[in-house]
Amino acid sequence: MRLFFICLICGLVLLIAGPGFAEDVDHGGDIHFKQPVVGVLFSHTLHVEELGLECDSCHEGLFAYEAGTAEAKDDFTMKSLAEGNYCGACHDGSTAFSSETRCAVCHEGVKGYKRALGLINAPEHDRK
Amino acid sequence: MTALKFDNLKNEGIENLPDRQRRNFLKLGFAITGVFAGGTILAVTSSVRRSFASSGDFLAQYPYKPHYGMLIRQDRCIDCERCKQACAKTNHVPAYGYRTDILERVRPDAEGQQREFIPVLCNHCNLPQCVRVCPTRATYKDRRNGIVMMNPKKCIGCLTCQMACPYNARYFNEEKMAVDKCDFCWEARLDRGGKLTACAAACPAQARIFGDLSRDDDPVHRVVHQIGRTVWVLRPEAGTKPNVFYTRG
Ligand code: SF4
Ligand code: SF4
Repeated sequence: MRLFFICLICGLVLLIAGPGFAEDVDHGGDIHFKQPVVGVLFSHTLHVEELGLECDSCHEGLFAYEAGTAEAKDDFTMKSLAEGNYCGACHDGSTAFSSETRCAVCHEGVKGYKRALGLINAPEHDRK
Repeated sequence: MTALKFDNLKNEGIENLPDRQRRNFLKLGFAITGVFAGGTILAVTSSVRRSFASSGDFLAQYPYKPHYGMLIRQDRCIDCERCKQACAKTNHVPAYGYRTDILERVRPDAEGQQREFIPVLCNHCNLPQCVRVCPTRATYKDRRNGIVMMNPKKCIGCLTCQMACPYNARYFNEEKMAVDKCDFCWEARLDRGGKLTACAAACPAQARIFGDLSRDDDPVHRVVHQIGRTVWVLRPEAGTKPNVFYTRG
């Protein structure tokens, strides 16, 4: 039981501080969602550094700053995205590609998720 | 334990396809639109209405009733692996084995979506190599429904079927001391009144459509025979006449 709590606390510390330790950036790094399905990648690097979005663009109403908040909610679903919530606020087919198309752009799957955790290596083929 | 690997798939053009293969596909009711990876994956579109408007020949392509098959809508798969989990739970598949798997293809140079997931499973071939080579008839084509079945009691574990299967759909189950494989959930679900395989029922993206190819009004039949739609099978050069079809969109 004590081991469980130690693991839990280490896990939480890593979860909250992880991205900060990993790289010296002023955004949240890569977020790998695992609810409601395993393996969806949100890249802060892409959205903030390359596309130039402000923190407020999403963290004002759509997503809380704290990682895991959206995932804990029941309405964090594709249906809700299609209704314009969460990612769907921009991924509506006009601001950005629709959340109802090009599934595997964001869905990295169980394989992508395991790679992010370092459990498996990158695919051997097609690596550039 | 991935079932198949597809390296750098690219369309190699239909010019390179042997005439015989082209004719065979026309016989099956498909027009060929592209060949991928040296003929490993063949893109075909339905030309059924054109070639077999009312021919009895064509019906013979689906010799079973029901004739179970699956359509994989490849661009919808998100590798959530709920299908794999549902399959393992339903059919008691051990962690070291698999009855179905998801392959990944990454194309960093592609425009748009650069990643694709490809669900794979036993193709329940009309001409199954596994059945042809099994010395004890432990694996057989079920006359009632076309499913390639296993009788574990007869299996002597020689693994000849595993070598023969072009889809790598078989693994040795140490608990059963026999080869185990996908049976379209016949034992666990269909034979008990179920209508869908566990994987198709569990897929949140409707990437796997299970159906009965012998029926005109069946969802799989309709897509496979839809004019102008590109539908393909894996490894057609193996000549096994698979019953798992792939499409996009
Ligand atoms: S996919 Fe393999 S196991 Fe299934 S019927 Fe074909 S040869 Fe046999
Ligand atoms: S459940 Fe569906 S979307 Fe998920 S991995 Fe299986 S086929 Fe793909």
